[in-house]
Amino acid sequence: MDPTDSIDMMDPTPQPLIIARGLTRSYPLGDGAVIGINAVNLMVAAGEMVVLKGNSGSGKSTLLSLLAGLDRPTGGELVVAGHSLSGAGGVDLTRYRREVVGMVFQSFNLLPTLDVLENVCLPALLAEKPAEPVRNKALELLDWLGLRNRLHHTPAQLSGGEMQRTAIARALINDPALILADEPTGNLDSRNGRIVIDLLSELNRRSGRTVVVATHSDLADDLATVRIRLQDGALADPPCHS
Amino acid sequence: MPQLNFLLKIFLWFSVRHLRRHLGRALVVLFGIALGAAVFTSVRLSVHASLQSFTRSMDFFAGTADKVLVRPGGHVPEGVLPVLLAHPAVKEFSPLLTTYVRVHPAKGGAFLLVGIDPLLDQPFRSWRLRGGRTEIAERWLDLIREPKTVILTEPLSREIDTVAGARITLDHSRNRAEFRVAGVLVPEGLALVEGGRVALTDIATFQEFTGLFGLVDRIDLRLRPKTSPAQLEDLARKLPEEIEIRSPSAARDSGSAMIRAYQLNLSVLSFASLFVGMFLVYSLVALNAASRRRELAILRALGASPRLLFNLFLAEGALFGVCGWLLAIPLGSVLVKYLLHTVSQTISTLFVRVHVEGLLLSPAEVAVSFGVTLCVAVAAAFQPARDAMRVPPKEAMEIAHTGRLRRRMAGRLAAWAAGCLLACVPLALLPGVAGVPLPGYLAILLLFVGSALMAPWLLEHLGRAVSPGLRRLAGTPAYLAGRYLRDSGARTSISVGALITAVALFTALVVMIHSFRQTVELWVRQTVSGDLFVTTKMGQVNRFQFPIPAEIVDNLREAGSYADLVPSRRYPLAYGDFPYEFEAMGMEPFLKHGGFVWLQGEAAEVQPRLVAGEGLLISEVFANRTGLEPGDTFRAWIEGSRVELPVAGVIRDYRTDGGVVFYSWDHFKERFHDPQWSGVRFYFRDRSGDIDVQTAALRELLIGRWGDRLDMISGKDLREAVLRIFDETFAITSVLLLIALSVAALGITTTMTVLVLERTRQLNTLLAVGASSRQVRAMICWEAGFLVTAGELAGLLCGFVLSYLLVYVINRQSFGWTFLYTVDWGVLALSAPLIVLTALAAALPAVRTALREPPAMLLRER
Ligand SMILES: Nc1ncnc2c1ncn2[C@@H]1O[C@H](COP(=O)(O)OP(=O)(O)O)[C@@H](O)[C@H]1O
Ligand SMILES: [Mg+2]
Repeated sequence: MDPTDSIDMMDPTPQPLIIARGLTRSYPLGDGAVIGINAVNLMVAAGEMVVLKGNSGSGKSTLLSLLAGLDRPTGGELVVAGHSLSGAGGVDLTRYRREVVGMVFQSFNLLPTLDVLENVCLPALLAEKPAEPVRNKALELLDWLGLRNRLHHTPAQLSGGEMQRTAIARALINDPALILADEPTGNLDSRNGRIVIDLLSELNRRSGRTVVVATHSDLADDLATVRIRLQDGALADPPCHS
Repeated sequence: MPQLNFLLKIFLWFSVRHLRRHLGRALVVLFGIALGAAVFTSVRLSVHASLQSFTRSMDFFAGTADKVLVRPGGHVPEGVLPVLLAHPAVKEFSPLLTTYVRVHPAKGGAFLLVGIDPLLDQPFRSWRLRGGRTEIAERWLDLIREPKTVILTEPLSREIDTVAGARITLDHSRNRAEFRVAGVLVPEGLALVEGGRVALTDIATFQEFTGLFGLVDRIDLRLRPKTSPAQLEDLARKLPEEIEIRSPSAARDSGSAMIRAYQLNLSVLSFASLFVGMFLVYSLVALNAASRRRELAILRALGASPRLLFNLFLAEGALFGVCGWLLAIPLGSVLVKYLLHTVSQTISTLFVRVHVEGLLLSPAEVAVSFGVTLCVAVAAAFQPARDAMRVPPKEAMEIAHTGRLRRRMAGRLAAWAAGCLLACVPLALLPGVAGVPLPGYLAILLLFVGSALMAPWLLEHLGRAVSPGLRRLAGTPAYLAGRYLRDSGARTSISVGALITAVALFTALVVMIHSFRQTVELWVRQTVSGDLFVTTKMGQVNRFQFPIPAEIVDNLREAGSYADLVPSRRYPLAYGDFPYEFEAMGMEPFLKHGGFVWLQGEAAEVQPRLVAGEGLLISEVFANRTGLEPGDTFRAWIEGSRVELPVAGVIRDYRTDGGVVFYSWDHFKERFHDPQWSGVRFYFRDRSGDIDVQTAALRELLIGRWGDRLDMISGKDLREAVLRIFDETFAITSVLLLIALSVAALGITTTMTVLVLERTRQLNTLLAVGASSRQVRAMICWEAGFLVTAGELAGLLCGFVLSYLLVYVINRQSFGWTFLYTVDWGVLALSAPLIVLTALAAALPAVRTALREPPAMLLRER
């Protein structure tokens, strides 16, 4: 492990949103184990635009799934926005997912039986928020994302870019402090990829949300405030602030 | 050949490995289809065993005769023998008498005593005595030389515990006498008749014992080769007019036709399990095809032909068929142990006496069972195989997992469904083919297929109708469930189809059995009314051939001071090949206390005509089989009298071995001849006291006087016995129904699991965007709830139509009767929550599967 990879190196002034200490996720396989990420130490302040880079298999998705509360670490500690995720139970994780994070996937993962508006409203409805304000908020978001005329189309009737913008609206409906995106441009052409990255960056700049984007494209490089490189499940070099 | 090899290799690589990886699912499906195949096979084998033993027994008994002389309703006088002796067409003949007798004091049941002339009978039937050559000759001669000798079969001598040379006392309707056992038969030929429950005696001894001097039951004939029809007609002319020349196989044919009809009905019922199992195979093969679309696209991109993919999935179905059938062998051998006995028992009480010694594995039946199972499984795989074939290779390059939804498909399927359902109507109106309700069964099949095809449309509309209101009422999970089912299309509708089939079957059988029982109860109350029934000893098993002797009748009449007597005489006859009973009955006292269950004709109008002897009543079964209607003329020879009477009305009657015709006893005697009494029933005039006490007193009195010459049963016991037989008959039906229902429950379990597995990604998305596990669980339960509600509703509807088909088409065509249609709302209402609970319980494994893995898999690209 790189000796310089230490928390002290980071800028501690704003309240850190993400604190990871020795964060490890390994997958048991036969007698041994496959390493997803291994002993990652990381501190991210609120309001950063983090770009996570690394080769395929380096552990980007694993780290994001831990940050998103979709999976539990096998070792180490993870605290996000004051929620300790290392030992959290199912109910806590659900609350965390509802209140703290919004998630954007490479393959969009929209529900095929719901239309655009319904897909966007879904997280708020699951959080048992009243329907009317949710709807208005969704319309606002879709307006902003240029999907006003797509409200009642099903995902199958959308283009890739439209699907990903719908997914972004969905990620925003609960007003999360942290937005996570795993290869959001992976299934898009470069023009749509650009649009998506710009949107994420705009979210970061305009409303001060923390955004973590895992990608191996270079589209996001110049917009990042923090760049992290993963290699074989560990930080390749200390996080680089710009 | 190399092509087949290649297919086999790809099949092992692609399909078998996949099935092995998901072994649990495959095993459930295998078990379902095996259960269906086991039920189907064991039911068929059991009935087949009865059929075989019946026809074999009839064949040994019929021997080598070409024709048989009988006198309907009576006995053939030996006076016709000289005519036969002199006629050029007749080569050989053998007179024959049979009756059922019992050993006294009672040991074992009744068995058949056959009276023959051992010399005349030689060319007709084969039988052989046990022992050395000279010994055999001696004993054989004993039968002719020495009066009161019998020859027993081995099993019979064992049962009544006697040996050659010993003496036994035999009881018969008319008489009791002592016989010497002259020998024991080797188990072959005639000795195998009635499962070995036969004894032989000389014809003269038989006549003396039964009092039938100069009379025989029938005379078997062997004709000279090349006898022309004209010569036969000449023979018929020379014989008295009331003598009929029949084919020796008539009794066998009508008996086996009844067993075959029963076999068909049970086969169809047991096929229901296999049919429901078909849904199981479909849902798994369809899941494999759908969840592996990408792999299929890749195979296609690598150069696989559509045909190859089609064959792969068809082979998957075939694999289920073959393995399911193999698994059915142990399952079936357990089932058949129960069924073999129950089925032969039922056939014996309902239709004809059968004695099943053991299971005969007929190659034809085994082939039918294998073929049907394989066909069902392959047919189930057909649609998924076609879907697989149509996967375009370019899908290998696509990434989005949005699951194509085929819109408008529900509408198209609904149109097909409507076609199937409409086609039921003309089919239900078509007559059966040779007494087999084939169009009726086809209508049932179409009804099932139609309802299954209707399911997607039903779900779509149900989903559309309820989902808006649901969010407000039951929250987001219920709403999502409704939305999912609305759009889920064919996949969900298959499980709904299985459920519809099972619920429909349940509903229909509940309605049918209830209607049947209610009607039979009414019939029993009215037509089988009476406080005490009296007949000659063994009158029932000997089909009331022997009237009650005059001195006993005179004594019985003395009860007339306090009871009304309804005398009757029953003649077993045949209308063409159709067996029926002509019953001359004391009409006036009968109508005073009991009555008929009318089908055609007004009681008020017809009853006076009956009492006046101006017409007779025919049963529904008789009317359906013969085509006779009120106003037509009934004609028959009965004991030498030519009976010609108008049909006055049609009544319901539920005796199982043919039809019945009722006529006034008094007028029969007046117009034709004295029919004597074969039985009588008593109705006490004073109904205020305890009828049971009066009955018991009369019974004591009669037993004291005529105990060893009469059989008696109280009306109450008789009615209870009839209803008990009814309930026992439907015990098999209930077992088959339960099995079909369990296979359907398995079906819901797999479908729900499949629905969940197919959507792992979507469910995980829900979790990722903030659904709690409780919400996901609730959603799956709501889905199951919707499926079950839709299945239950459509199943109920389909079930009522089916019950209508069963009562008015299938029963009418295969048994000739219908019943008063009544619905047992209580049972149906009780069953509904039970079915819903079962189905929800079946959703549990799915719920567990859904949350087994952390939702992080969403981030893994396939
Ligand atoms: N569910 C899993 N089971 C086993 N190994 C896994 C699982 N998920 C990820 N891995 C392994 O963890 C490592 C990191 O994977 P991932 O985080 O998906 O990488 P990336 O997103 O950077 O391409 C890989 O070696 C991968 O094989
Ligand atoms: Mg990844």
